[in-house]
Amino acid sequence: MVIDDGILPSVHAALADIPDPELPCSIVDLGLVEAVTVDEDGHVDITLLPTFTGCPALDMIANDVTRLVGNLDAVESCRVHWVFDPPWSTDRITEAGRTLLKAHGVTVPTCGGEPASRGVEFRTTAIACPWCGSHETRLDSPFGPTRCRTIQYCESCKNTFEDMKRLDHEDEASSPGAG
Amino acid sequence: MTAMQDMMKDPDVNLVLSLADDLLMLGHVQGDWTGLGPILEEDIASSSMAQDDLSHALVLYEHLGNRFGLDPDVIAYERDVADYRCCDLVTMPDEFDWSVAFVRRWMVAHWADPVLDRLAMGGKDLEDRCRRLRAEQGVHLSYLDDWMRRLGAGPAEARERIQAALDRITPLAGMLMEIPGRDLDVDEDFCCGREELFNEWVTAMDAVLSGAGFIMDITLPARDVIGGRRGEHAEHFIQQHAEMNEVRCEDPGAAW
Repeated sequence: MVIDDGILPSVHAALADIPDPELPCSIVDLGLVEAVTVDEDGHVDITLLPTFTGCPALDMIANDVTRLVGNLDAVESCRVHWVFDPPWSTDRITEAGRTLLKAHGVTVPTCGGEPASRGVEFRTTAIACPWCGSHETRLDSPFGPTRCRTIQYCESCKNTFEDMKRLDHEDEASSPGAG
Repeated sequence: MTAMQDMMKDPDVNLVLSLADDLLMLGHVQGDWTGLGPILEEDIASSSMAQDDLSHALVLYEHLGNRFGLDPDVIAYERDVADYRCCDLVTMPDEFDWSVAFVRRWMVAHWADPVLDRLAMGGKDLEDRCRRLRAEQGVHLSYLDDWMRRLGAGPAEARERIQAALDRITPLAGMLMEIPGRDLDVDEDFCCGREELFNEWVTAMDAVLSGAGFIMDITLPARDVIGGRRGEHAEHFIQQHAEMNEVRCEDPGAAW
């Protein structure tokens, strides 16, 4: 397979502009893009990782990617593949993504941090509130507005915020791919 | 022979379908609680877990679909009733008794964990899928175990109702252990030992129950039990299946 350096940067740029339908950050910053390949005829294959398998936004993301990348000059066709290996992990969220999410009241566990499951409590160490910075926070509900988030409550500023769920297999997950 | 017939004749398919069909039907049945949960957070949790169960079933149907050249929706909806491998525990009416719905869900979540572990031995594609599903079901397990402990530490009504639900469901929970295929030895081999699977499942449940002060008296049923997993379904499965298929029958290919 021949990698066409002429198309690849524009494909990456297009991907970086595609927002996640349910989070205030791009699918690249969320760590969804695992691999991008382009052949000499301009056929693009994009490998994406689903966050949570029950996420209803997956079809929408795949449609956005095929449409926006497919519309680029010199792109003949664009196909999206969802794979489970490596499993998506909160560790794949970029620094830029973390900053954007925090500004919208969504915290992200530190890389290599505690998993959300296999414990009576979810994330037993207190999370710093994204609004006021206090550590006097507690889990309000392990199931939030989407599959990938819990709802937390800050006793200090009396606001709720959301925390991205880190699953317990993620210590084995690889770091973000080259994509 | 059609692709569907090919699939149903493959002995490896039975255990995959057992869990996929359990999750499909439980997700459908548990969906009846959406809007009716005892408190808002519980309503969201229950609906979220039901949504997860349906998508986990889909991930397993997709695996089979890729292998046999079938649309996963066709596998989910268009089999003959006798080709569904779920056990009838998952469609048993809970009569909107939350304690019954809760205890059943807790038992099935505990069941899914070791079964996904076994299914992950079925090749690379299944391994990748089951690893992810096991991690996601792990969130359900944490949540449900936590609730079980809280209910055990709760007032008398909570303890009595949960114990009553355990007493009612435990005799039926053995249905989960039914060997799904027609060939008892082949299917038992694929489970990597039915007794081992049973012990793993029960030990994990007992660890939670003993801490919570509840009692469950469960024994491994005979190998030759014939029920839902071998296509002999109860009336309530047939009703739930018909309800689930209503829109698809009315308007094939409907999308929104």
